[in-house]
Amino acid sequence: MAIYLDCNATTPIEPSVASVVRRFLEKDFGNAASPIHDYGVFALTAVEHARGQVAEVVKARRDEVIFTSGATESNNLAIFGLAEAGRQSGRRHLITTAIEHKAVLEPFEEMARLGFEVQILPVGANGRFDPQRLADALRPDTLLVSTMQVNNESGVLQPLTEVADILSQHDLYWHVDAAQGFGKELEQLRNPRIDLISISGHKIYGPKGVGALVARKHERQFPPLRPLMFGGGQEQGLRPGTLPVPLIAGLGEAAKLALRNNSERIAQCRTFRDKALATLSALGAEQNSAEEYTLPHVLNVSLPGINSEQAIKALKRVIAVSSTSACTSHTHTPSHVLTAMGLSSEKVEQSIRLSWCHMTPDVDWCEVETILRALRG
Amino acid sequence: MDDIFRELEEVTVEQYDHSDLPKWLADPVLEVARNPEAYQGKEYLVEILAAQVREYDVYAEAGCCKWAYDHEDIKRTLRWLEEER
Repeated sequence: MAIYLDCNATTPIEPSVASVVRRFLEKDFGNAASPIHDYGVFALTAVEHARGQVAEVVKARRDEVIFTSGATESNNLAIFGLAEAGRQSGRRHLITTAIEHKAVLEPFEEMARLGFEVQILPVGANGRFDPQRLADALRPDTLLVSTMQVNNESGVLQPLTEVADILSQHDLYWHVDAAQGFGKELEQLRNPRIDLISISGHKIYGPKGVGALVARKHERQFPPLRPLMFGGGQEQGLRPGTLPVPLIAGLGEAAKLALRNNSERIAQCRTFRDKALATLSALGAEQNSAEEYTLPHVLNVSLPGINSEQAIKALKRVIAVSSTSACTSHTHTPSHVLTAMGLSSEKVEQSIRLSWCHMTPDVDWCEVETILRALRG
Repeated sequence: MDDIFRELEEVTVEQYDHSDLPKWLADPVLEVARNPEAYQGKEYLVEILAAQVREYDVYAEAGCCKWAYDHEDIKRTLRWLEEER
């Protein structure tokens, strides 16, 4: 079995998370919206406990966490949820960046179709957008700024602290898609200027199908979000539907571990990184992002003379890697992220992404090197 | 494993000494915190108990929304700890 190096697509599950999920699937299966007996009360207790565990990671309040099906839904709720407020206030200008995930870019395209004006900021060769460009783009009618925390393809941490300073004097909503950074880079998301944070369970060793939108309240009021669905009033009226207690409890456990084991996980990822970099550097690989901004568990490199599809196929018995994001890899379109960073089409076609975690076993890097050298030869 | 029991003891003492957690509620919680062997395999509930003690508020039920934990919540979790849950 190949060693899994595609943790930015999805992570393996932590054993204790699986155990919590199983408990609420098999034994404590009550409905949290039916707290009229112990089954329901225990389910509700588990949900509220998980809400606190998620909130703690970003230093939010428990009542600011809205459970969703994942970061895609959270992004949609944050973006479309503000449309009505934009229409009513006459603020129709939206800003995002060229390297966002499709789960942000496509809602923005739809918002443009609905009559909003969308401005997309470029990024530099280092994989980051320029906060000054954002400052220059702000207008009195700007409703929403949406910027990701960590890019899924490059692993590059975006300049959110600088953005927080810039936006401190502006009356607009700021959404951060933190699918790749929540529970990994802790400090940025604790900034109270961020109004809305999208998170995902299966990127932090939790289950698939669950996530959350953290919506910070100001003067006890949520940002003026409108729900996307109706029927039940759960999650403070913003996300109806029976709560998936097993998944929510699993997400809470994963959030707890992310916080508690953060520094150990980072150290383990750094050790792995050194070995991966040593092998890839020996092959003349060129890193496609600035090392100083890249999280320690991601490497996006181009291998001169080696097509990425051929490399992935040749390596598949040793390591499982990808060439682009999981959500676009099936379309075989060139990476919009690397293209936005100014990479030539040749370098994009030679790019592979390796992403690992604290649970990743050792890789036989000698074998990786041998396979890739043979391909080039 | 003992970390969560140590955390439960710390937060209970803190809430009893410096906040409104009453003795009649603090005592059974401390009984749990100081007997980890008796509650092995029930760490998930102990963790919930610690969170409830940390966010204990006498007036949790006051107002329109309940976003703190009260004595009923803590009593219930203590009961669950004694049951086959």
